[in-house]
Amino acid sequence: MDYDVLVVGSGIGGMESALKLGDMGYKVLVVEKEASVGGRMILLSKVFPTLDCASCISTPKMAATIHHPNLTVMTYSEVKGIRRDADGHFRASVKRKARYVDEVACTGCQQCETACTVAVPDQFNADLVARRAAYIAFPQAVPKKAVIDRQGSSPCTFACPAGIEAHGYVSLIRSGEYEKAHRLVLDATPLVGSLGRACYAPCESDCTRGSLEGTLPIRRLKRFISDRHVESGEDLGIEVAEPNGRRVAVVGSGPAGLTAAWQLARKGYTVKIYEAAPEPGGFLRLAIPSYRLPVEVVERDIQNVRDLGVEIATSSPVRDLAALKSEGYDAVLVATGTPRSTGLGVPGEDRMGVLAATDFLRRIKLGETVDLAGKRVVVVGGGNVAMDASRVARRMGAASVTVAYRRSRAEMPAHHVEADDAEKEGVQFAFQVAPVEVTGDAAGAVNGLRCVRMALGEPDASGRRSPTPISGSEHVIGCDVIIAAIGMTPDTAAFASQIGVERRGTLRADPKTLQTDVPYVFAAGDVVNGATDITRAVGEGRRAAHMIDRWLTGGILDGFDLRLPVVDKQQVLARQKVYTLRPATPEAVTLEAAPRDFREVEAPLSETEARAAAGRCMDCAVCSGCHECVSACPVDGCIDLQARDTELDVEVGAVVVSTGYKLFAADLKPQYGFGQYRNVITGMQMDRLLAPTRPFNTILRPSDGKVPERIAYILCTGSRDETVNNPLCSKFCCMYSIKQNQLIMGALPLAEVTVHYMDIRAAGKRYDEFYEQSKSMGATYVKGRVAKITEKENGDLILRYEDIENGGQLVDAEYDLVVLAVGVQPNRDAAMLFPEEQLAEDKYFYVAEPDEDLNPGVTSIPGVFVAGTAAGAKDIVDSILHAGAAAAQVAAHLERTQANVKVPA
Amino acid sequence: MSTTTIREIREIIREEPVMHPRILEALRSGPLTVPEIAEAIGSPTDEVLFWVMGMRRYGKIREVKDPTDDGYFRYEATNWAVPA
Repeated sequence: MDYDVLVVGSGIGGMESALKLGDMGYKVLVVEKEASVGGRMILLSKVFPTLDCASCISTPKMAATIHHPNLTVMTYSEVKGIRRDADGHFRASVKRKARYVDEVACTGCQQCETACTVAVPDQFNADLVARRAAYIAFPQAVPKKAVIDRQGSSPCTFACPAGIEAHGYVSLIRSGEYEKAHRLVLDATPLVGSLGRACYAPCESDCTRGSLEGTLPIRRLKRFISDRHVESGEDLGIEVAEPNGRRVAVVGSGPAGLTAAWQLARKGYTVKIYEAAPEPGGFLRLAIPSYRLPVEVVERDIQNVRDLGVEIATSSPVRDLAALKSEGYDAVLVATGTPRSTGLGVPGEDRMGVLAATDFLRRIKLGETVDLAGKRVVVVGGGNVAMDASRVARRMGAASVTVAYRRSRAEMPAHHVEADDAEKEGVQFAFQVAPVEVTGDAAGAVNGLRCVRMALGEPDASGRRSPTPISGSEHVIGCDVIIAAIGMTPDTAAFASQIGVERRGTLRADPKTLQTDVPYVFAAGDVVNGATDITRAVGEGRRAAHMIDRWLTGGILDGFDLRLPVVDKQQVLARQKVYTLRPATPEAVTLEAAPRDFREVEAPLSETEARAAAGRCMDCAVCSGCHECVSACPVDGCIDLQARDTELDVEVGAVVVSTGYKLFAADLKPQYGFGQYRNVITGMQMDRLLAPTRPFNTILRPSDGKVPERIAYILCTGSRDETVNNPLCSKFCCMYSIKQNQLIMGALPLAEVTVHYMDIRAAGKRYDEFYEQSKSMGATYVKGRVAKITEKENGDLILRYEDIENGGQLVDAEYDLVVLAVGVQPNRDAAMLFPEEQLAEDKYFYVAEPDEDLNPGVTSIPGVFVAGTAAGAKDIVDSILHAGAAAAQVAAHLERTQANVKVPA
Repeated sequence: MSTTTIREIREIIREEPVMHPRILEALRSGPLTVPEIAEAIGSPTDEVLFWVMGMRRYGKIREVKDPTDDGYFRYEATNWAVPA
């Protein structure tokens, strides 16, 4: 057996039972779902009737619980299920939620909390103020260790094939930390400016805000931080390891090669890139038109790589990989992309005037002249390259540009925005046509494209409907130039004798490790996968760098994709009942029907627009992954954002259920306006306002920060009330209200406090004296139910009530602040602990004590006991008594059933 | 009766980081009460209170000792929030 007793919950009842059992010599495991022990009591201002400071009397018990030699405490943990064995022992499954903070190393300095960029309501302050995603539960927390509220991967981050922390940089922009946001993207890739313009933003497709008024402009936010960085003139500001003496050759300087070189250089490798073209950058520099991605932006991104000492040799094609090894490189990465266009494969494709799209785009980007003025151009294909080629042709003065595509518009692989923009720039589309012949004149020049119309049948392997020719539908589209953009292929013939090459020319590499048949050669990006897009190539480059580093350092080739599971968007949306829709960021693309230059078509976001756009982020995973906590933490390695939940099974001899109670949800009494009127608060909120660790500087009304002078209490809110199915008295609402009255009158000597009650229940030692003391201090008690509350424009509140002791007339009274003395309700989570047998509940759904008069604390399951308010409403004194009784019951049970196993010390 | 619809607390609090520079800018001329800050930045007073208290919690602003005659405390930026 691992422990004698499992105590579930560490409020005052749980702590008391655990301590008593520990003192008796039993080994006790305490499991607490929050990050600190202490339950609700530690959050109170003072306790009645002694007005002792709740913190002062709680914290010694909390510390004793944590440090008791016979107690093991697991905070931030949940009991997932408890099963009883045939021998009467219990097996409990405990989930230890990842804190993302090393509990031993954390000093409780709160630097992570101060640096955190995500603000959420603080449940320990009854939602009166914000906490951060990185937080320490409250100042007296035991253990005083931070946790990071990290509920998975945000959809935007999870969707990024490049592995960029999209949520992270959005939250940094929201906080005005533009350079830090830029550095966060640099952590993944040097291509911040390029991706800010030319990526197709899968992050935006998955943005939860898209379900409301529209997605955040995440890509444009990336462009914003890139532009701001350039304007600032600041250094890159990233960490680079000391040179490690190893050398890596990267063949190809597209997004995969550049990113891999960047990552390897940061790890201390000496990296040289070999590029066959006269300029580095691959498709970024030699294909994507400047109106989408200006050359200077690409060159800036490439300069980032050079700034780390990476050498780039242009016009340097590599044909012999072994020669690189001989030159002293420890590893080689092949990332040469798909530089070749697929031919049309029809008669006449060698006529003068037939161009390959990649060659055409490349010539334009290199500043060569391609004379299209006044010519009729047909672009064959339906992908993004076809759209680029058609729009470039428009800019080169073509009289007409027609895109011929064999399927329908819905099946075009081009991003729909690209197709829409091409159309706005005057590009025409001929759908469901396929070329069968390039026709020409006697001189061999193109004069038309003979096409056949296509019918669309059933979906093929790609999910798109497969086209079949319609006989007799041949026709000729007259044209002077044909640009073939039907596909791109790698140029790998030179490697065929050295490493594995697939039938379609792609290199054979392990999809996870990216290692080829030759161990020191890795391959990544489009040269392995075929043509994809920039973000995927960047992601492959990162993976390749990681794997090469692992291989060269003798590690196992794993551990690259450490994303947490993506959060459920519906659960994110369910966090709020109502959303205020914010203006979506307007598109800023300016298109002309007949464009004649290569000026960038999309305008940048202004700072105001960027902050406003980032401000719409819903913090889906709560923690954004901005890594500010990691940077701020003074203890290296203390924060680990890759930590994972763990589970363990324990065998115990008995169980104490001390799961406490839930507070009545005050908005279920809509006539009192909680949730509609800011100045209607709950008793728990007032306790927080009165506590030494209060969320405000003093008692202030939430509508405007005014010090209230007229404060009303409404007792029995949600208790003794059949209308909300709770006929029970909550036992301590009268007394905590009386306590608060006294504290308010002490803190605000000029305040008038009025209590609206049905009857005051002050049955306890010195309770009635405490009540009388409150009246003598000046609190007014008015007998009668409050019918409703209405709000004035200035936030003041009008209470309508029946004044029973003064003739029963209806009275309207005005207050600055109203406190609802909410009652308690059962925490039905307790019954869920036992999936295989029923933990009986009483008729009010508290844990039943079948023989409560004579055997308090004994439940319906032998060996399972209940302590404190899990069994019914109790004040602190009664909870402690009850917990002590439960501890005695546990000891008796253990002695009776396990005398041969355990002898108390 | 007020017809103003109040926003959900989570939504208001989420915007706190965006509001920091606006509030600090409003406080450049000196300490202000919550209604005065609200007027300066054009936001509801109840929302401003959330943001001000969030900033106070993390040391960006602090209250001036005594409240005004109207019962409002004034708040000022700390040196930590506004570097010299």
